[in-house]
Amino acid sequence: MEIRSAAEQGLASCHLCGKVSPVDLGECPRCGCKLHLRKPHSLERTWSFLIAAIAFYFPANLMPIMSVGGLGGTSHDTIMSGVLNFWKKGDLLVAIIIFAASILIPILKMLALVWLCLAASGKTRTSPKNLARLYHVTELVGRWSMVDVFVVAILVSLVQVGALSSVLPGPAIVSFAAVVVLTMFAAMSFDPRLLWDQHADRDLPDTP
Amino acid sequence: MKRHLPGLSWPRIEDGPIRVACHFCDALQDAPRLKEGDAAHCCRCGEVLYQNRPRSLARATGFSSAALIFMALVHLFPSITVNAGSVRRELTILEAAQAMWRDGNPAIAAATVFFTMVAPLVLVGGLLYVTAPLRFGIAFPGAKVVTRWYQLSEPWSMLEVFLFGILVALLKLGAVGDIHLGVGLWAMAGLVICTTSAIAGIDRLELWDRLEIAFKRTN
Repeated sequence: MEIRSAAEQGLASCHLCGKVSPVDLGECPRCGCKLHLRKPHSLERTWSFLIAAIAFYFPANLMPIMSVGGLGGTSHDTIMSGVLNFWKKGDLLVAIIIFAASILIPILKMLALVWLCLAASGKTRTSPKNLARLYHVTELVGRWSMVDVFVVAILVSLVQVGALSSVLPGPAIVSFAAVVVLTMFAAMSFDPRLLWDQHADRDLPDTP
Repeated sequence: MKRHLPGLSWPRIEDGPIRVACHFCDALQDAPRLKEGDAAHCCRCGEVLYQNRPRSLARATGFSSAALIFMALVHLFPSITVNAGSVRRELTILEAAQAMWRDGNPAIAAATVFFTMVAPLVLVGGLLYVTAPLRFGIAFPGAKVVTRWYQLSEPWSMLEVFLFGILVALLKLGAVGDIHLGVGLWAMAGLVICTTSAIAGIDRLELWDRLEIAFKRTN
């Protein structure tokens, strides 16, 4: 059986409710959403969010994410030095988790999105099934990078106790939150159907 | 392709065969009716097209009401209490946000409130508002807008990430003072489980089919 895409027949499935209707209607008859064959300006929007996220990634990692004032003076922690502290203390598992959530996942997510964008504009040749898997993973793990921002928020409110007299959020924290939010926006504006459009254009056999 | 299983699947406004386009690869295909518990997969990319979840509306209402109760507990009771000599600190989400606001980072305070209070509330409250009356075939006014909001709020609800953040913060605090885990923390765990089950309980296409019918009936 030949598989045809809805777009080839001028049909659009609604972004919100999933109903398939002719794109000429302009609006979904069921939920009133605007109908598009593909998310409008998907690649341009994804690229812009992505580039903004990459720009924020540098201050997020280079500047201190929090300052801890104790009896021995004030120390500034970057994300990486926080990871190293856990490692030195012997909390290897925590160090690995924080490293994964705050450093590895954002980098991998941005690389994955770059790859997806390139593939969607026909610059690389990877099977769409693998790319689909990649897209799912990026969507799934993206939110978890927010964990360090919350950790600082929790520590700031919790610690005015004992030896630690003050914990203050550092300038990196806003950049870091921006990276997470921007990569989430980038993933949302990416339209995975573009990957299959490329695939179909090349006339490859599309059996599952 | 069309299978009739009366009583087992939800009604649809059109009785003829329905076609769906995979939201992932856009392959257009027939959408058969499914038995409860079954899922239809895309014939090209294998993505789930839609599912017929067992007792979906009952589950969605039940879990989302439970989630609302847990949500009240999360915000009323402290999650952690730290005692160190004469000093005693308690943590609720709102206090964490307040401290961030005071100490020079209103943006992060606002983000925390949005990700851990507003988005989960819209998600769970919206789902309850839509599914509870749907059990009786009624759609409340604004149900379409509310459904849209709750679908949009889904990725922005980050309570489970916050919960994990508390655990990491505890490890970072290390030996500073006496730490007690409070009702708020357990409620937060309950809230995360209930929210996940509530969303997983109902399929998006099923919800819209039911909404369509309900609107048809009221108009």
